[in-house]
Amino acid sequence: MRIEGMIFVIVAIFFAVITPIYWFMSEDPTGTTALVLTFGLGGMIAFYFMLLSRRIEPRPEDRHDGEVEELAGEYGFFSPHSWWPLAGASAAAVVFLGLVFAWFIFIIGVALAAMAVVGWVFEYYRGEYAH
Amino acid sequence: MADVASTTAVDAAHTRPPERPNLVSVGVIVWLSSELMFFAALFAIYFTLRSNAPGVWDEQSELLNVPFSLVNTTVLVLSSVTCQLGVLRAERGQVGRLGGLAQVGKWGMREWFVLTFVMGAFFIGGQVFEYAELVTHGLTLSSDPYGSIFYLATGFHGLHVTLGLVAFLLVLGRTYMTRRFTHEQVTSSIVVSYYWHFVDVVWIALFLTIYVVK
Repeated sequence: MRIEGMIFVIVAIFFAVITPIYWFMSEDPTGTTALVLTFGLGGMIAFYFMLLSRRIEPRPEDRHDGEVEELAGEYGFFSPHSWWPLAGASAAAVVFLGLVFAWFIFIIGVALAAMAVVGWVFEYYRGEYAH
Repeated sequence: MADVASTTAVDAAHTRPPERPNLVSVGVIVWLSSELMFFAALFAIYFTLRSNAPGVWDEQSELLNVPFSLVNTTVLVLSSVTCQLGVLRAERGQVGRLGGLAQVGKWGMREWFVLTFVMGAFFIGGQVFEYAELVTHGLTLSSDPYGSIFYLATGFHGLHVTLGLVAFLLVLGRTYMTRRFTHEQVTSSIVVSYYWHFVDVVWIALFLTIYVVK
């Protein structure tokens, strides 16, 4: 994970250098704010990746003697197919239509979104998947 | 024979899949960094408007009830602590409390998350109260540039806190739907805590900008 971390460390260092220069040359609050938080964007991921690289052993792709077959194994649970993202997206569309046209549509949209989110989150927790 | 034995040992080590970063956690951190850029836009609006209309700022920021908001902020910051205590229990696999409800030391993940939920809800209640007070003083979303960005920035933050409260309910709901407390549920509680800490840090920045620096 160290290499991935270093990429974002470079991003953070770049913006840490650029931001004060930009401020002194332009005194523009808008761009400076954006640059400060872009430093945060890089720094946040860099911090997390560097923390991870210390916590876990080097992965096969981190070692020079790593082999492709070492990557075999279970990576996690991936839903084979699901209708819930479609329901979620449709509900979001209704919510935003409601913001544009009328509050009653918005309220219907929120109810649909609540159903979609609950359906999505609990999809593999009920029925034949209950465990 | 010695060679055979050592080969078997190497093979045994290789059948275990290598330890990898949790995909959900990494994904949430990358997503949160994009959320940071969303708030960057709001901060940029704030500072741009402030530099263009300093008069409005001096006048309208007098309306803010700083001590009230400080109490509200403290509750939100402490809710991050209670959330983390819940995650520590979850990582230990302790979902429910081991003693009575009054024995705080024996609380499990559920009790700490419920407390976090209550504190987050208190914060939102405080925000609504504050909005109501400011509106009666004539500060609205369309009254002036200060009102626009004040409600936009704190409102979008409040929306994030509200969605975080929903996330806590969903994580708690999952713990009641299964017989065992699974690894997936531990992951959910960890990433919800990442989100909660992020929203908390954003609020500290907003509080310092809007209420302290003015």
